[in-house]
Parts: sequence; structure tokens; C-alpha cells
Amino acid sequence: MSRLEAKKPSFCRSEPLTSERVRATLSVLKGIVTSCYGPAGRLKQLHNGLGGSVCTTSQSAALLANLPVTHPILKILTTSVQNHVSCFSDGGLFTAILCCNLVENVQRIGLTPTTVIKLNKQLLNLCTSYLKSEACGCRIPVNFSSTQILLCLVRSILTSKPACMLTTKEVDHISTLILRAFLLIIPENAQDHIILGKSIIVPLKHQRVIDSTVLPGILIEISEVQLMKILPIKKSDSFKVALFCVSLSGDLSDTGEGDVVVSYGVSLENAVLDQLLNLGRQLASDHVDLVLCQKVIHPSLKQLLRTHHVIAVDRVGVAVMEPLSKVTGTRPIGSLDSISPSSYGSVKELCTAKFGFKHFFHLIPNETTVCSLLLCNRNDTAWDELKLTCQTALHALQLTIKEPCVLLGGGCTETHLAAYIRHKTRSEPEGILRDDGCTQTELQLIAEAFCSALESLAGSLEHDGGEILTDGKYGHFWSVQADSPSVVNWPDLLSRCGCGLYSSQEELSWSFLRSARLPFVPQTCLPCEATDSAGNLTLDCFTAKLSGLQVAVETANLILDLSYVIEDKN
Amino acid sequence: MAAAGSVRAALQVAEVLETVVSCCLGPEGRQVLCTKPTGEVLLSRDGGRLLKALHLEHPIARMMVACVSSHLRKTGDGAKTFIIFLCHLLRELHAITDKEKDSFFSENIQTHGRHWKKCCQWKFISQALLTFQTQILDYVMDRYLGRHFLSIFSSSTKERPLCRSSLEMLLGAYFCGRVGRNNHNFVSQLMCDYFFKCTACESGLEEVLELVDDCFVELKVGVTGLPVSDSRIIAGLVLPRDFSVYCPADGDIRIVIVIETIQPLFSTFGSEFILNSEAQFQTSQFWITERTKAIMKYLQKQNVKLLLSTVKQPDLVIYCAGLNGISVVECLSSEELSLIQRVTGLAPFVVPQASSQYELSNTAMVKFCKPFILRSKRYVHLGLISTCSFTPHCIVLCGPVQGLVEQHEVALHGAFKMLRQLFKDLDLNYVTQASDQNCTSSPLIYKNSRESNDLPEIVNGSIQRPYQDTVVKNKDELAKTQTYLKAYSNLVVPSVELETNILCSTPTVTLTDTYQTDATLRCFSPGKARIMDDHEPFIESNSANSTTENTRREISYENLQVTKNARKGSILPVRHKSLEMCTSQSYCFSSVPAGCVLPVGGNFEILLHYYLLSYAKKCQQSEETMVSMIIANALLGVPKILYKSKKGNYSFPQIYIRALHALQTNQPLISNQTGLESVAGKYQLLTSVLQCLRNILTIDSVINIKRQPQEIYDQDSEEEL
Repeated sequence: MSRLEAKKPSFCRSEPLTSERVRATLSVLKGIVTSCYGPAGRLKQLHNGLGGSVCTTSQSAALLANLPVTHPILKILTTSVQNHVSCFSDGGLFTAILCCNLVENVQRIGLTPTTVIKLNKQLLNLCTSYLKSEACGCRIPVNFSSTQILLCLVRSILTSKPACMLTTKEVDHISTLILRAFLLIIPENAQDHIILGKSIIVPLKHQRVIDSTVLPGILIEISEVQLMKILPIKKSDSFKVALFCVSLSGDLSDTGEGDVVVSYGVSLENAVLDQLLNLGRQLASDHVDLVLCQKVIHPSLKQLLRTHHVIAVDRVGVAVMEPLSKVTGTRPIGSLDSISPSSYGSVKELCTAKFGFKHFFHLIPNETTVCSLLLCNRNDTAWDELKLTCQTALHALQLTIKEPCVLLGGGCTETHLAAYIRHKTRSEPEGILRDDGCTQTELQLIAEAFCSALESLAGSLEHDGGEILTDGKYGHFWSVQADSPSVVNWPDLLSRCGCGLYSSQEELSWSFLRSARLPFVPQTCLPCEATDSAGNLTLDCFTAKLSGLQVAVETANLILDLSYVIEDKN
Repeated sequence: MAAAGSVRAALQVAEVLETVVSCCLGPEGRQVLCTKPTGEVLLSRDGGRLLKALHLEHPIARMMVACVSSHLRKTGDGAKTFIIFLCHLLRELHAITDKEKDSFFSENIQTHGRHWKKCCQWKFISQALLTFQTQILDYVMDRYLGRHFLSIFSSSTKERPLCRSSLEMLLGAYFCGRVGRNNHNFVSQLMCDYFFKCTACESGLEEVLELVDDCFVELKVGVTGLPVSDSRIIAGLVLPRDFSVYCPADGDIRIVIVIETIQPLFSTFGSEFILNSEAQFQTSQFWITERTKAIMKYLQKQNVKLLLSTVKQPDLVIYCAGLNGISVVECLSSEELSLIQRVTGLAPFVVPQASSQYELSNTAMVKFCKPFILRSKRYVHLGLISTCSFTPHCIVLCGPVQGLVEQHEVALHGAFKMLRQLFKDLDLNYVTQASDQNCTSSPLIYKNSRESNDLPEIVNGSIQRPYQDTVVKNKDELAKTQTYLKAYSNLVVPSVELETNILCSTPTVTLTDTYQTDATLRCFSPGKARIMDDHEPFIESNSANSTTENTRREISYENLQVTKNARKGSILPVRHKSLEMCTSQSYCFSSVPAGCVLPVGGNFEILLHYYLLSYAKKCQQSEETMVSMIIANALLGVPKILYKSKKGNYSFPQIYIRALHALQTNQPLISNQTGLESVAGKYQLLTSVLQCLRNILTIDSVINIKRQPQEIYDQDSEEEL
């Protein structure tokens, strides 16, 4: 029965951004995300008063998923960041901070939203076309013949997540593992388009991080009791595998919408069990060595299989079904009667393994595109953080294969981009304005807001009260420790720039990032030798960062364009 | 409790709504953020959606919203303009009544009596509005405005080739008012590309638009988390699910659709399956397995490579399909099924009862079928080979948040609705009056009326199906019978009042009727190919005419009575007028041809404003003049808001003066805007607003009931029981 209830009228507010409350909540959110940013970022502990586990994190994915926001404008911001993260894994905090900065800076100017949005869009176009161009001074092409750059990329991602609680040695270990796991899923004989395999992350909590490892093939966790039953495995160079997707538990299948009348004394269970045992005999006569089932196998059938020296593993779960069928070359069997011999697959080797206190059944296929990454960390929350980070790194590597270049990290891309925009808007404003009906003064104002948003984004990498400098040649990011004497010889205090590409040996005319500077032409076109020689660079995923930049500007434009908020209170 | 429903109350409501919607109007409009009770956030500039999201309580406001949404269902555009125009109309009416208050009412009348009297006055105005809508508006549109119309087609031949640049301009202007400022160019370009990709051949535009409008939800894929600029068009159809089994296949692929499980079940609905022994059970299961295998084998033999199923198939079917190299897609929704069926003309596959050897008939071909990955989510990508004029393409819409993607979806859908309206002819019919003609000179009238009918023909080039719509749409029919009422009341008046005139009034009646048939026949003759399918509605409409004819006279008497009561003092002019009127009357059936457009920026409003004013000057009747003036002034409200932020030469007064000057000196209007809008849409908007206004004016009081709404029992069904 339906219940009729009058709808409450909605709540309508005009010009939401001018309200003090909205500004306050925006700045609170900005404070949260800014303090998390970068390798020196502060951790956030999220715990729900009503229960659930405590989460210690500095990643946007975990942070925003657990952070409930009520104001619609914040909701727009957080959902857009979350959507970006679910697409690219990386660059969530970057997007969130840039968006907050832009909204805040533009509001201070007080131009009409139309002009602001138009010019923001123009500046964004300027940025994306520069980043995509060959002349870009903060982009490094990836040379796949060496792992140097890829390793740097993975390491940068790992170090930027302090909640993983890794030491330098552990970072090195995990980043090599991640890179190896990634290389394992690339098929050896690639045709015109590569289909990447899958790396499965296997949890192994409360172990030392150094114990983490990568294995080709699939690990299936089994209990110790099961393990006792399985032993021993005969020696062979190939094992025949059957993979079932139907339940082998002996329950009745769907009988249709009508009624089924069973006469007294007729036992359908027996009938089905007979059928299952027949199936077991058929499997044995087909010389199957291993039976895997997504669901449950009837104990009698297991017993029968064991007597025929067939290993049976059940309750594999739907998640590993696809990799299993890929690795073994089997077709998941959906029938209890006759099985076509073509559905069987094979693996090269079968063995059992023990990692920590867990027992695994290890399937090593003939040709690997699937690998298992056994990930260890000391406690639950650090493990969760590490797992997210590994997924991010693997995703970033995949994106890098698609678009083979990386961006300089450590704040250098942001400061360089800001310098480039300043220079462009001064030198050729006509090209940017075209015929939009905006004046040059408006462009200067918005460009200043845009650049300072980028620079304060870079500045939020520094959390310990240090000063931030930028040079007058490359436009890179340099940070100085706090409490350093004010009038000094800069090269003595600085060692390398944020990304690690340039050292302070050159005379680069440094100045404070916050101070007013004359616009200069940042050096474009990275020299090749510079990237080769530099050992340890901080790098960012190109695709993720570019899209993060676009999403941040688009979202900021969206928020600035709002003239009313209508809240449905039902 | 009864509250006086007055223009003042309506005006207050409309003004509040106006402030909300006017912020989103036009290219300078901004976004509104709506939250749903579920916590979703939604961005919108769509007037209809905003009005709905407000959940208004005020009864008059709710009536306005209802009117807006019924208008939107028809046209898909103009909700904001609707409210603004309505608000200005109410404002004008309010101003007029304030002025005339003293002249209308004597001071000693009590408040209650004054209220009722006021209601009578509103009723009278609403009658005048009706007259305006049915007679003057169409007349002005056809006679004066028609010459300013541009066409979206590059030539007026029968194939009507569509001009890409004008379509771009039209869509650009449409999206300007619908989506965010950054994206309107991009979205309109996307839509334009989509439209031209979908219509491979020039013919069948209507068919394509109808299909896209109906199935738009299935033709788009929304992706969140990517920048808007990643949106694109993909050839073929994308289904939002993964393959249950995927077997790669090359070349053209044969597909079948199933709507039931292929595996036979023990018992179907309403039947009983009796199991007597375990062996029987095993045999039946064995038979089921063998049967399923046989069917799949049969499909494979028929070279079927893809199975589309509306239901979930059992594991056995999936397994057998995999063995036979058949890909399977399960759980298609009924909308997806109907889309595929419309595109390919494919009927569902019926599982043969006996093991058949005959050729499979219900199959279609697809160019490819492959998995498609968007944002690490898998989709099924089908290259359907179309059997109709629609070439299947999908739009992938990207945006950082769901709210933005949805906004673009709604805007695109609305654009297709708008185009659909644009490619239809719009009927206009009105009564022309030649006051100096003698009633006896019937051949002369004939000639004259033919001339008058020739004019719109020249203007329009083609007149198609003038009748069909009027019969189908009951609203139009109502309006039309109203026209007859008006016309005949004028004719019959002399026959009552002046006996001598009876001779001339009757021949006029028959004459107009014969002329009608004649006119419609002539209308059809240019498009001979159309006569066949147009014949039926034509006859229908004729019979409708004859049936109404009988009742006409009585109604006209009543009508006359009403007018007498309402305007006691003005019987004389009425009589006088009717004497004149009876001399010659001819119905004009004309139409705004499909694809008529005008430049944006209030061009339609200014033009109509100008011509209504000039019509009002010529008009002798006071109420016609008044109504025309009110509407003409209210029309200017929209361009006023559009040019609000512009300064100097582009401010509203400047533009208005320039336009008036150009019209007076017969120069072409110069518009600084690059964009077009549909004339038909504007016309429909105007009529919808007038209708809504009439609704508001005819309400005299609002009764507020504080009880739960009672359930209405269906009387008929109880009787049947």
C-alpha cells in the first residue's frame, strides 16, 4: 500500500559562494587536503564514533571516502575528486587543492563569473597544449629500454604516501616488487595491441614489509587441514585442470515456475549425488589432475576424487575465476553431465607454499600474464594504505605505457607552468583573448589568480615552516629548511630542486615564491642528457596529472558558476 | 478556507519564480545546484527541472509548474521564457486593472461583490485572450512575420537538404541556454556531428529524430571522472554490461535475440511435473542437457555468433555457447531490446519445438561485436547494421561529476525534441475579413479568398497535412471549434436580429464550407504522393466539421447571450460589426513550414511586438486592441533580460530602436547574434503561456483542503465485478 505524503518545499539560496559559512567550510576542507599533500604530509586519523575501524591515511581516496560532507558545494568538489581518483588512482589531492585554491583566489578578485570562467578555460587550454607539446620543459619521454624512469615514478608515488610507514630500504624493496609485478603482466609475444594481464594483491598482514614478494601465477589460500589432505603432489611437467563455475554440492537446480511433485520414497538428493559421482568418475578417466570449483564441492565427490588422486579445491570465489581461466586456459564448466575435453586446461607446475602463517596452493602456468603480489605490512591500516598505494603505482605504470611520458614532480611542474603562463599572458595576450570580449587587465588578474593557485599548490608540499624559492631560469621549485639565516649564499643552502633534476651549482637567481617577481621565459625543451644523468628524480604520472588539472579547473568553474542552490529537504 | 485567486497573487508568485529562472536565461545565465533527498547533487540550467526541484506549495505556483511541464513534454524547450513571459503578461494586466479600477467600479459596492465582479472581468479578458490566440496571432504570424523567417534547409525542394552551418547555429544557440558556459560550443558541436553521423541519407530525418528522441537513454553512455572534452561519438551501439561469454569472431556476425531461457525447465508456470522415480529424474535431466546442447549446436550450424538475451541464461547454456563459439550478452533491458529491434528489424528467436533442420529466419548481421573498455569498466560494443534510415551511433558523455554529465544528457535529449518539433509543419488557421465586400457577390469572394490563400503558399513553398494534426490533437480541435463558434456567432446574429439579412447569411455558411474542402484539396495537390496517406484524416476532419455544425447554432446563441450579459452596453457595436462581418469571411489554412528559424536575441519577440502594435492601431475593437497591446508589451520582457548586462550600443533600448527603425523603413533586420531559434517553438510557447494565463484568470477562488487526499474508487470496475 502506498502512502501519500505531501512533499516539503525545497530550500533555495542565492549566490551561495558569498555566504560566510560556505567560505569557512571550503577553507576547512582546503586545510585538510593541503596538510596531507606530499611526502611530508600529515596523517589523518578517521574514526567513526558509531563503530568501524580507525583509518590512518593521507590519501585522497581513503580520506574522501570516509569523510562525510553535507554542503552541496563541497559535495560537488569531493565527488569530482573521487571520480577522478577512481579513473586515474593518482592525483586526487592535487586536484582537490588546486580546485580550492582557484575558487578562493578568484573570489577575491570579484570579477563577473562569465569573464572568470571564460578566461580560466583559456588558461587551461594554454596549459594542456603546452604540456602536450614537444617543447614542454617539465615533461620527460619514457625510455622503455631502461627501468630507471619507471622506478623513479613508482618510488615517487610510494614516498608521497607517508601513511604506508615505509623506511627507505622498504621503499626500494616495494618499488622493485611493483615494477617486477608490472613487467610480469606484459605478454611476451605482443601483437599489434597489448592486452595486459592482471596482478593480484594477496594480503599478508602482520609481517615484515621486506617479506613481501612477487610470484608468477596464482596463489589460492587454503587451510592447513585441506593442505594435509592434498599432499603429496606427484611430479609431472604438466597438470590437467578442470574449472567449474556451477556448484558441485548436489543441490537441485532451478526447476522452473511450475510445481514439481515428488512421489513418496523418491530421493532427489541421491539422484543428484549419483550424477555427481558419475561426473567424478568421468573426470578421473579423463586424467584430470586438479579440479577447481568456484562454489562448493560435495564431500562424497571430494572423497571419490581423492581416491583417484585428483586434487580438488573448492570455494575459489568469483574474483579469481577470470584470471584462473586465463592462466590455465580452461573454459569454466557449467554442466554436470558430459564435459567436452576442450574445456580442460593445464598448468606447468603445482605446489604448496607457506608464507607467514598462511598456506597457499600455487599454480604456475606455462605462459604468465598473471602474477601474485604478496604484500606484507605491520598492521591493518598501514597495510590498507600500502595496498592502495601499490594499486595506484600499478595503475600509473599502465597509464604510462599508453602515454609514454612523465611529468616532473616535487612541485617543479606547477612552478614551471605558473612561470610559463605569466610569461605568455604578458608577451602575447592577444592570442589568448582572441575575441572573447575580455580586456587585458581582466586577463592579467585572472592569470595572476591562476598562477598563484598553482604556486600555492606547490607550496603546500612544505609543511615544516620552510621557505620556498623558485629560480629565474627553469622556474623550478626549491625549498629551504626553516630557521635558515635570511641573507645567505643560496647555493650553499639549497642542494637540488624539488624534482631533483637541477643542482644548486648553477647560478640561477633564486627568489621567494611568495614575493613579486618579474615574468621571465622559463627554459623549454629539456635537454636529453639532463634526464639521463640525473639519478633519482621525483616524477608524476602524466595522464593522471593532466586530467587532474583539467578536472580541477572545470570543477572550479562549475562552482563559480552557481547562482542558486536548491536543497530538497524530503 | 477560500482565498481569492487574483491576478495579484499570481503575479507575486510569478515574480518569485522569475527571479529564480532569469538567472539561468540566455548565454549569460548561470548554473543552479540542486540536491536530491538521496544526497545526489545535480547541476541544472533547465527551467523545467528547477521548477520541479523547488517543490512549490502555493497552488497557483503549482498550476504554473504543471503548465510548464506539459509544455516541455511537447517541445522540450522554453521553460524559462515561459515563466518570464507569463510574469510580464500578469504585470501588464495588473497595471491595466489598477488604472481602470475607478472607471470600472463604483465606490459603494461591497468588497465581496467587487471580488465577484472582478472575476467576471477576468473572465471577459480571458475570452479576449482566446480570440486573440485563435484569430489574431495566427493572422499576424502568417501575414507579417512570415516574410522574416529563414529556413534551416538550404533549398526548399522536396528532399530539403539540411544546411550544416545553420544547424550549428541553431544548436549553438540552444545549448547556450542549457549547459555551462565553457561547454556549450563543445556540446553543440558534438550534437551536430552526432546528428549528421546518424542520418547517413538525407531522407528520413523525422524517423531518425523520433528514434533518437525515444531511445536516447540507450544511445548515450555517461562516464564520470574524465574531463568534458573527452566526450566523443562511437559508431555502433554500446551496451552497459559485459559479455557472459566472449568468443572473438571476424567479419560480419550473425546474431539472434532470445527472450526466454534456452534450457528447458522441468515445469512451466501453471503446470505440474510428477516425479515417480529417481531414474525418471535423471533421464529428464539428461534430456534437458542434451536438448540444450542440440539447440546451441543448431545455432552454431546456422552460423550464429552472438546471442542477445533479455533474461539470465543458466550456466549450462553459457557453457555450451562457449563450446560452440557463440558469444552471449545477457539481461538486456526491454528498452535496449526495442532499440535493437527498431534498428535491425529483428524478431526474437523462438526455440524450435522439434529438433529442426530448417533455416533460421530471425537473424540479423552486425559488423563487429567486441568488448569496449571505458574507464576500466567493460561494455559490449555492437556494430549493428541498420535497416532503417538511422545509422546507429552512441555518444559517450564525460564529466567530472555525475551532475554535469546528467545536465548534458538532458540538454542533448531536449535538443532532439526541439529538432523534432522544428522539422514538423506548424498549422495556422484564421479568419480573414474583407469588410467592403457585398455578400451577394460570391464569385468575387471566392477569387479574393483564393488570392489570400495563394500568398502563404508562395511564402511557404509546401503545405503539408494541415488537417492531420488538428484532428489528432484535441487541444487544437478545441481551439478550432472555438474559432467556428466565434465566426458563426457573428453570422447568426444578423439572422436573429435582422430578418432581412437571413438570405445572405446562409449562403455564406455553405460557401465557406465548400471553400474549405476546395482549399484543402488544393493544398494537397502539390504533394501528390502524400494524398494517399492523408486522405483518411482529411475525411475524418470533414465529418468532424459536419457534426459540429449541428450544434453550432445553439452554441452560438448561448455564446451571444453570454456576451450580452458581459457587455450590456456594447450590443450596438456588436450588431453593427456583425453586419459588416457577414459580408465575407473565409478561412485561411496556412502553416509555418518545417525548419523555419529566426536569429536569436529576442528577434521573434521584437518582430511580433512591432506587428501586434501596428495591428492594434488598425483594429477597431477595443478589447482586441487592449489584448494585443498587453501581449506586445509583455513580449519585450525576454529581450530586456537577455540584454540586461550589455552596455552601450548593445543595450536593449538601442537594439529596440534600431529594430523598429529597420522595420518601419522596410530594411532587413540586422542581428549581432550568431544563432538561430525555431519559430515553431516560439509560437508554441506563446500559445502555451496564453493558455496558462487563461487558466489563471478563470479561477476565482482557491479552496484549501487540510485533509489527506481520498482514494478515488473506480466505479466502473466495481460494477463489472
